[in-house]
Amino acid sequence: MAEAIQKKLKAEVEKYAQMQKDVSKSMSARQKLETQLTENNIVKEELDMLDSSNMVYKLIGPVLVKQDVDEAKATVAKRLEYINGEIQRYESLLKEMEKKSEKHREVLSSLQQEFQKAQGLAR
Amino acid sequence: MAVNLADLSLPQLEGLKSQLDQEVEFLTSSIGQFKVVQTKYVEAKDSLNVLNQSNKGKELLVPLTSSMYVPGTLNDVEHVLVDVGTGYYVEKNVEDSKAFFKRKIDFLTKQIEKIQPALQEKHAMKQAVIEVMSVKIQQLQQGQQASQMVGSTKA
Repeated sequence: MAEAIQKKLKAEVEKYAQMQKDVSKSMSARQKLETQLTENNIVKEELDMLDSSNMVYKLIGPVLVKQDVDEAKATVAKRLEYINGEIQRYESLLKEMEKKSEKHREVLSSLQQEFQKAQGLAR
Repeated sequence: MAVNLADLSLPQLEGLKSQLDQEVEFLTSSIGQFKVVQTKYVEAKDSLNVLNQSNKGKELLVPLTSSMYVPGTLNDVEHVLVDVGTGYYVEKNVEDSKAFFKRKIDFLTKQIEKIQPALQEKHAMKQAVIEVMSVKIQQLQQGQQASQMVGSTKA
């Protein structure tokens, strides 16, 4: 009896650890997006200060390519939109994971109690 | 949320201290990085001063590598290319570029000013934790000595 529960408990603990790993992975991905968001916001601010008399160049590999100010603005705006969307996606993902871990913790603690009880009986 | 430090056990205090240590280190390195970048911007702004009308057409040596130079002439003293981030370069005139660098330097100064109080606060907290820890350790040692004395008198 106790052994069966112990096996189950072990499997659950492993699952839980895997989930924690996923959570921290998503966390760092979200943080990266946050950095990109700040960076792109700074670029947007700079581009917004320009007028059509300014030339904009985009670094592609080792080459600087001439680009329209409006085009550059559109690219950055699109990028910002994408990053914001991704951040929201990760936010909801993390929330869901948090809920799942919460449930998992409950399952774990009840299993632990069961195990202790079974162990007590075995003795 | 307020927790009385004296209520915490030694291992808890130890944990708190290492956490504060990490935070202090993180903030210190952030400030260090900001200062490095700021110096770069200051240098860039200063080097713009060379680009004036009186230097137009003068000869200069252009570094191809760090140990090889080719001669050139300064043709355009009005325009420079400024890296604004994420691979975008903007052609600006000297005045605008100076304004750009000034903006960046001011921005960094503000960020550093924001971090500094947080760092000081963490420092003060760490100091408080260390103090409480040393008091606890002293109490522990005194307690041990007292129990030893009791033991030896009994023997």
